[in-house]
Amino acid sequence: MNKIIALLFLLVSYSNSKIVSTQLTTNQEQVSFFSYTSVENIEAKNNQVLSVIDLSKNKIAISMLMNAFVFKKALMQEHFNESYIESDLYPKAVFEGEILDFDPSVTTSQIKLVKGMLSMRGITKEVEVETNITRENNAYVFTGAFDLVVKDFDINIPPLLVPNIAKSIAAKFRFEYPTDEK
Amino acid sequence: MKNYLKIPYLLVLLVLSLVVFLFSRTNQTNTIENQRISAQQLVHSFVTNEVEASTIYKNKLIEIEGSVKNVNFLNGRITVFLNGESTSSVLCDMTKSQLKVAKKLKEDQKVKLKGLCKGFLNDVIMLNCTLINLNINE
Repeated sequence: MNKIIALLFLLVSYSNSKIVSTQLTTNQEQVSFFSYTSVENIEAKNNQVLSVIDLSKNKIAISMLMNAFVFKKALMQEHFNESYIESDLYPKAVFEGEILDFDPSVTTSQIKLVKGMLSMRGITKEVEVETNITRENNAYVFTGAFDLVVKDFDINIPPLLVPNIAKSIAAKFRFEYPTDEK
Repeated sequence: MKNYLKIPYLLVLLVLSLVVFLFSRTNQTNTIENQRISAQQLVHSFVTNEVEASTIYKNKLIEIEGSVKNVNFLNGRITVFLNGESTSSVLCDMTKSQLKVAKKLKEDQKVKLKGLCKGFLNDVIMLNCTLINLNINE
């Protein structure tokens, strides 16, 4: 009887440790966006994006500081933070979603749909992103691109600057989640 | 003759605008206060009250003192982590000029650095960081 209890205890603790290890966190990930117009191209990059994936539930969460986007021109960065995104009022963008039909045990490249809610500037929108998932150097690497419509997030662009900013912004991301496996 | 009389007025206007310009510049630099804090204290203040800490430190140039948790060069960036509180650290994104010194940093080494505080996710995020008064004991 004692042996059975010990075995059960071992099984429970093993399954618990599996649940803990299925959460992978990373905090130096990249999100960039581009606005292409005939007047000018605007590009910005954030290299300090935080993300967690839960492999047991296929859930994903992403959080980033809007004022950590770096632009080539300081004036663009100032306009972005003060006039468009209002990063003092809305400091973070958050995404919470699910990786549909994802099998973490697959070691080859797989393209999966990530579906969830993106919150930015106090507005939450449903987003679906095709994501390429690969296994590289003991890590899951998620890469992809998607478009964001400026109007969807109530971003007010002054009439004078309308020709400078694209109506649809192209966003790109790369997240690398290291696993403990050697 | 009339045009000739206008010159002193123009000069006064020019001097006045120069004064206004210089005054606004000095005001601007005053808004970036030089704050000094330990990495642990900085993390603690964000963990306990993120809103309050943000009003004090966000978008401010801060001088931090702390011990090195680790250094990495992921995605072409130079990143120094300073020990903070439990799982939270201070994430310092270094300027490119810091590559040589960053490579020499060792775990638990005491350092002082200066950078722009951007806020808090799981770590306190600092950008444009540079090491100051660094004594590398080799």
